[in-house]
Amino acid sequence: MNPAGIEVKNVSMSYQSESSEVLAVKEVSLSIGKGEFVSLLGPSGCGKTTLLRMMADLLTPTNGSIEIAGQSTRQARLSQKYGIVFQNPTLYDWRKVKDNITLPLELKKVPKAERERKALELLELVGLEKFKDKYPWQLSGGMQQRIAIARALAMEPEILLMDEPFSALDEFSRERLNEELLAIWKKTNSTVVFVTHSISESVFLSDRVFVLSPHPGRLSAVVDITLPRPRTKEMRNSPEFYKLITQIRDSFEGS
Amino acid sequence: MKRIKDRLLPSLAWLFSLLVIWQLVSWYLLEVKETTLAQSKVPYIHEVVHTLFTYGLTLLQEGWSTFINAGAGLLLGTAVGAILAILMSLSTWAEKTVFPYVILSQMIPVLGLAPIIYGIVHDENWSRVIIAAYITFFPVSLNMLKGIRSVSPGSLELMHSYAANRWSIYWKLLLPNGLPGLFNGLKIAAPLAVTAAILVEMMGARHGIGVIMLRNLYYGPSNTYMFWSTVVASALLGIANYLLVQLIERIVTPWQPAFRTKGGDN
Repeated sequence: MNPAGIEVKNVSMSYQSESSEVLAVKEVSLSIGKGEFVSLLGPSGCGKTTLLRMMADLLTPTNGSIEIAGQSTRQARLSQKYGIVFQNPTLYDWRKVKDNITLPLELKKVPKAERERKALELLELVGLEKFKDKYPWQLSGGMQQRIAIARALAMEPEILLMDEPFSALDEFSRERLNEELLAIWKKTNSTVVFVTHSISESVFLSDRVFVLSPHPGRLSAVVDITLPRPRTKEMRNSPEFYKLITQIRDSFEGS
Repeated sequence: MKRIKDRLLPSLAWLFSLLVIWQLVSWYLLEVKETTLAQSKVPYIHEVVHTLFTYGLTLLQEGWSTFINAGAGLLLGTAVGAILAILMSLSTWAEKTVFPYVILSQMIPVLGLAPIIYGIVHDENWSRVIIAAYITFFPVSLNMLKGIRSVSPGSLELMHSYAANRWSIYWKLLLPNGLPGLFNGLKIAAPLAVTAAILVEMMGARHGIGVIMLRNLYYGPSNTYMFWSTVVASALLGIANYLLVQLIERIVTPWQPAFRTKGGDN
């Protein structure tokens, strides 16, 4: 058993639509190790976001169980074992950048001086020290998402859950943020679960890619990403990178 | 500087044209068509302005009395409206219980309610405050409730992910999110509060713009310019109240899209 790992055991999730019961996730089991960077990859309707939300205890599985660092997802949420980044930055407009980052600390009654110190440290980590007193809407989309990442790291969680965090960004910002995310991951030693529908993004970032298929959402393949670390821009053009992309694409067609 | 000029010029041109048209109509009714009570219908602007300045001090004193009571009523109405909005936002059960009465309250004509309130409190100041509050709490409450409800599901989910308690969710998310709605309601309510106060004054008070308005209406055509002066003064009070609310809005919620300045060098 791994202390900061995630164990998903035979999890299913169905919900009632107007006319019938829809099976969003069907009998998924997977295990994520401490410090691992994994992606949940698949087209829309494959249940990847649903799966992540169940890990975050924002949804409850109909069947099966999820354990986070040996705890139930509810306990993990209450003890802030994870930080989460959504597709939208979800920053609060009325708070300055630094106050957005320290929101989770404020909720846990961390003293102001300590919050300020932590905010500066995190701003430095995401390279946005200059913007601490700006409002979120004064920042570009990519910067806003970096602030959201800083906020997710504020409680120094062992696990970082990311739900298509860069999907709203242009290709250039996305690739740059991919590299930054890896640097942050290296510094924080956290376990990352990254939801994406981009094959190349999942290959570039991950140790392992869990490939999900839709209707009903189920795990169809697990691909080990054998690219060495640290990952560099140049690797995106390497034959091995393309080979892995092809391998993942084939696993979709096979399903 | 040039931009301000560009923006100001059209509105000034409009205002000027309107005033000229008014004066022409006034002159036409009085001198050409020789309508009875021509000046009561469309008075000469220069005469009204002249009266406005001659009796400026009186108007200011009476206006101040109206303004203070309307302001106090607006504050009270805002407090009641905000509390009701928060109450209704707590649960659909609370909303279903409170909402019908909120609607019902607006069905009672103020003309009928004012004497009742006066009969109860026996104080013209308190009557004005209560009626002004009575008229203003409704738009404040409804708009603030809408503001609280307009919170994005993502923002709420973020709070859940932090295991935030209900108090924190209200204080750090729902209430700030409801502020723009609150101010929308206040901007509707601000001129209404003045109107309400004047209405109560007309039903028998000793001070206030409504008192001289009614008095000059009774005195007939000889006081027509004074009557019009009070109309102008009332309008100015309403506008002043509105602008005051707008100023406070800018200070309290500078993050609203309408006030945003370009600041990011992305």
